[in-house]
Amino acid sequence: MRVESRFKQVLALLLVFALVAAMAVGCAQPDEPDEPDTDEVEVPTIDFRAAMVTDVGGLGDRTFNDGTYEGLLWAERELGIEIRALESNEIADYEPNIDQLAAAGFDVIFTVGFLMTDTTAAKAPEYPDIVFGGIDQFLEDPGPNEVGLLFKEHEAAYLAGVLAGLVTLDQDFDERVNDQNTIAFIGGMDIPPVERFEVGFIAGAKSVNPDVEILVLYAGSFDDQARGRELALSAIDQGADVVFGVAGLSGLGSITAAQERGALFIGVDVDQYLTVEGSGDVMLTSAIKRLDVAVFETIKSAVEGTFVGGQNRVFGLAEDGVGLAPFHDFDDAVTQEMRDAIEEARQGVLDGTVVVPETRDEL
Amino acid sequence: MAEPSVATRGQKIAHLLRELAVPVVSVMLAMGIGSVIMLVAGYDPLVAFPAMLKGAFGGGRQIGETLLRATPLMFTGLAVAYGFRAGLFNIGAEGQLFLGGLSAAWLGIVLAGLPQPFNIVMMLLAGAAIGAAWAFVPALLKAKVGAHEVITTMMFTYIGRYIVSWLVTGPLKAPGQIPQTSQLPPESTLPRMHDLFGFLAVSRVHLGFVIGVLVAMLLWWVLKYTTLGYEARAVGLNPWASETGGISVPSTTIKALCISGALAGLAGVTEVMGVHYRLHDQFSAGFGFTGIAVALLAKNNPLGVIAAAILFGALSAGAGTMQLEAFVPTKVIFIIQALIILFVAAEQLARWIIGRTRRVGVEHAS
Repeated sequence: MRVESRFKQVLALLLVFALVAAMAVGCAQPDEPDEPDTDEVEVPTIDFRAAMVTDVGGLGDRTFNDGTYEGLLWAERELGIEIRALESNEIADYEPNIDQLAAAGFDVIFTVGFLMTDTTAAKAPEYPDIVFGGIDQFLEDPGPNEVGLLFKEHEAAYLAGVLAGLVTLDQDFDERVNDQNTIAFIGGMDIPPVERFEVGFIAGAKSVNPDVEILVLYAGSFDDQARGRELALSAIDQGADVVFGVAGLSGLGSITAAQERGALFIGVDVDQYLTVEGSGDVMLTSAIKRLDVAVFETIKSAVEGTFVGGQNRVFGLAEDGVGLAPFHDFDDAVTQEMRDAIEEARQGVLDGTVVVPETRDEL
Repeated sequence: MAEPSVATRGQKIAHLLRELAVPVVSVMLAMGIGSVIMLVAGYDPLVAFPAMLKGAFGGGRQIGETLLRATPLMFTGLAVAYGFRAGLFNIGAEGQLFLGGLSAAWLGIVLAGLPQPFNIVMMLLAGAAIGAAWAFVPALLKAKVGAHEVITTMMFTYIGRYIVSWLVTGPLKAPGQIPQTSQLPPESTLPRMHDLFGFLAVSRVHLGFVIGVLVAMLLWWVLKYTTLGYEARAVGLNPWASETGGISVPSTTIKALCISGALAGLAGVTEVMGVHYRLHDQFSAGFGFTGIAVALLAKNNPLGVIAAAILFGALSAGAGTMQLEAFVPTKVIFIIQALIILFVAAEQLARWIIGRTRRVGVEHAS
């Protein structure tokens, strides 16, 4: 009798465990971007395989790992290839993940993130028949099977800065805009691609609002949501009403902070209005990098045999490789003046009259 | 006369089995619940676990990878376990590890050109010393004013991490764009096992693993047979009784936490010397914290730490293959790790299940 009831207790406990854990998994599951129904045309599958190795943020960061995966999904849809993503939990995973994909016969491997630069350079020569695409990586001496895929983040950030600089001045824009004339930049790690975002943002904001104060904070990692939230809270408490978050998974915490304390947010890498569910009330726009374009084009050229390695390709405004996402819920709030200022900045960058700085030294 | 000794041996084995039962059952329960989670999430555990096993033990290279990942966990596991034995919760192994790594990254460059065995010994000693030093202030605060080590060692972890962060992005940064220190010369690195022993399969596992096993054995001996270890255990069991018995609790506390810090420092040294050959901001994947789980699973037994570290290393090494072949996100291993800890912590649950199976077994036998 006693044993029976104890058994039921334990069973109940185990079920609770299972339930809680299942919920945790459900929440942790990357919302893999829905594949659009492409039933109309059945693309014949071909024997070609492309994969990516994520950085430690992993899939579900709603920024650059997911952005790269978008490109793979696009290639799967359009070219009928097989795709795969392998997540790194720690830096020590980079090498074995590449080895595993190579052993499994993949034709193209994308290594995602600046921190994998050295690993790409070390591993690519070992596998001369595999095409390596290094996202956000400037490869010093790329071999014929390597291509570095870089973005002019500063150009997208410049446009975001113009918008932020004007919004923070305009208290009629939204009740969350205050009179402090302060905006904030939250970075993940202080590495060149993030620095380009920071510097471009500052330059853009100052170009339209020379007196604006810009708080710059770094989380120290791309996978610490709590820290991202903390930093954004402190920035908002110091008067920032527009927060630009360039921090991968850590940035998701900053979005939460903006929602909690009533500030506006500018997303990064992908249109975060679409990728971060329920963020519409704060998401002014996003400074996007067309990772999907870079990935898709690389795979396509490899499939068609037109791949040219040994180079670093840079995607900027001119190549449609970076830009601003739509304003979505703020579409009515964004004034014609703001739109004109952004367009003017865009034209300036395109025709070379505006040169956006890339590093703090150039600022 | 032979009879009693056989009996004691039998008792010893029975005791050992009892000690092993809880961790083993906990791991099995964790795998079971992990399977349920996979099923709920739409993955097939019958594909996933074999794939993980293959990735962790499927060949020489895979076994090497498992041992490679077990190495830092062994040191941090020993660090936490030794602290626990003395009644101290060194939650700050991560910080001591970072300082150890820092010392190796710096000393390795300074010692360039000297013979490798000399460098290895010097760098290990220096890393242990700085790890101990980093634990010394919290230890002193604990011993003198009773400041709780959970708070102080954690705070020191932040200080250590940010010092390293500043150094690798500033004063110690190597030329180039990446925030990291310069690469160590070969004479300042730990050789890979297959370079030392040609008959071993090519893999990344390095001498650090062997050092870890030796340190674990040394620690086991210290705890069991030396005054130092006896005092630590006594204070851990009952500080008031120990004080009455003539053991200085403050001095034992300081010694124990410093030894714990030294062990954690070694984790940082071996990672820098054996895996990365340089220091960067994120060279540790939270090894100091996973070490707590390893120590718990090992029930703070130094020899048990070896096995627990290998298990956690296998989970980590097998995760990639699991994702490649079964499409299960590698993050699932964190869930399994967490479940293991949960079940080890909820020891009563495992004990009850063991008791029940034994009863059933007895009934069947009779």
